[in-house]
Amino acid sequence: MLFDLLQNTLDGLAMGSAYALLAVGFTLIFGVLRRVNLSYGPAIMFGAYCATWVHLNFQAGVLALALITIAGAALAGAYVERLCFAPHRNGSAIAAMVASFALWMQFEELVTLVMPKHLYDFPPMLSADPISFGPLTLPIEALVMLGCALAIGFGLQRLLYRSRFGLAVRAVIDAPVAAQLAGINVPRILMQVFLLASSIGGLAGYLIVSTHTQITPMLGMWSTLKGLLAMMIGGLGSLPGAIVGGLLLGVLEAHSQWFLGPQSRDLLAYLLLFALLALRPFGLWRARHAETRA
Amino acid sequence: MSVLLEISDLVTSYGKIEALKGVSLSVEHGSITCLLGPNGAGKTTLMMTTAGILRPKRGSIRFSGSEIAGRAPHAIVAQGVALVPENRLVFPAMTVIDNLQAGAYQRNDRAEIAADGERMFERFPRLKERSAQLAGTLSGGEQQMLAVARALMSRPKLLLMDEPSLGLAPLVVEEIFRIIAELHKDGATIFLVEQNAHLALKVAQHFYLMEQGKVSFSGTPGALAEDEVIRRAYLGSAKS
Repeated sequence: MLFDLLQNTLDGLAMGSAYALLAVGFTLIFGVLRRVNLSYGPAIMFGAYCATWVHLNFQAGVLALALITIAGAALAGAYVERLCFAPHRNGSAIAAMVASFALWMQFEELVTLVMPKHLYDFPPMLSADPISFGPLTLPIEALVMLGCALAIGFGLQRLLYRSRFGLAVRAVIDAPVAAQLAGINVPRILMQVFLLASSIGGLAGYLIVSTHTQITPMLGMWSTLKGLLAMMIGGLGSLPGAIVGGLLLGVLEAHSQWFLGPQSRDLLAYLLLFALLALRPFGLWRARHAETRA
Repeated sequence: MSVLLEISDLVTSYGKIEALKGVSLSVEHGSITCLLGPNGAGKTTLMMTTAGILRPKRGSIRFSGSEIAGRAPHAIVAQGVALVPENRLVFPAMTVIDNLQAGAYQRNDRAEIAADGERMFERFPRLKERSAQLAGTLSGGEQQMLAVARALMSRPKLLLMDEPSLGLAPLVVEEIFRIIAELHKDGATIFLVEQNAHLALKVAQHFYLMEQGKVSFSGTPGALAEDEVIRRAYLGSAKS
């Protein structure tokens, strides 16, 4: 029983790392735009399908597939920014959100048109044996995922607080008009944040599909939901919160899958989203105005 | 003296409502020019249009010889125009230092930026005491000083100030105007929007009175019409 708990927690932390990355990308976009980008997940799915297509038609290594997923997601993210968010920057938030929904449908239609099977195999990251500590086992992939989440988390924190780009991003998050008056090219920063966030999402997408070793068009909706949920648990707009939210969601899912059966995993996630929205609409830890709201 | 900023026949509208109905005025190099007028006259709209936040429908804004009307705000900052906006608009979740750094965003000369930061701390000692504090925790007067310092960090040729005295205690307002006079003495060109006509006319060399989206009067302080101007600046003209 104790070992089950520990093992579930380990597995959950691994998948939770991917959720944390999804949530970090989501949070960056939400932070600078104050808009929900429903096409965030579908852009990631687009990237993952690009990698799947390359995998089916050419010989490509693991690193190449990861990079293709990231590049595809970034490209799709830029497309979303141009079409949905750049035109509505000062306009209606609803219009931008509905437009992002329309692009979601575009991505789904596009991938099902080019790759019509419902399900494709995706190569695993590594085929090395898992490491064991007594009765506990830990796949190398899990370590890679945790490492990615930590590295991206610390890297982003440094980028935001130590670089000129980070200064501009924080200024745009804090007071967009003042940022313009300070001479920051706000549209360009928004585009760059979109590229960065979608790339991080693309990395998360690669980690997820290579763990599941399969891909369906549902990945789009799934990524948006998991990212949104982890972001909400962590408190809207907080980067450390997004990471904690993602890890927590992963661990919760792993436990419920073990104790309540595999079907319960997503059910629990949606129940949690519902309960959060009803009871704590600003997240478990409401992001303070200061500091955490990066 | 040469003209630094020349606005002619400027029209800016919010939807169908024209807030500026053909404004023409000019600001001379090295002067303090002040724009007076009652609430809703379009003073803030004029400032926001000059800084590029609002796009004009018609008209021209020439700044040291080049047309800046309708250009992006960051391009206008690059030309050498900085606005201290109404209600200050500091970056509340960023430290005082980071606010100043953001003001110098377009500059690359690290050493010079650091030196300018020190200069700001000399001019505004209160900011130095609070340099690591988040701007949102400062008092209104301190935030106003930070907003001025942030604008100065871009080394502007023209400083636009929109109601720097708004909502501040009388002593703080005096301090702000002392700083404005100092900046002018150091050679800055300042275009100042102010509700407090008495104070503004004390520091300005030239003034414009704006009513209902148009310049209705202009002149130099000290002229006979001053009482009438002040009355209209607060209340609007009788016909309004």
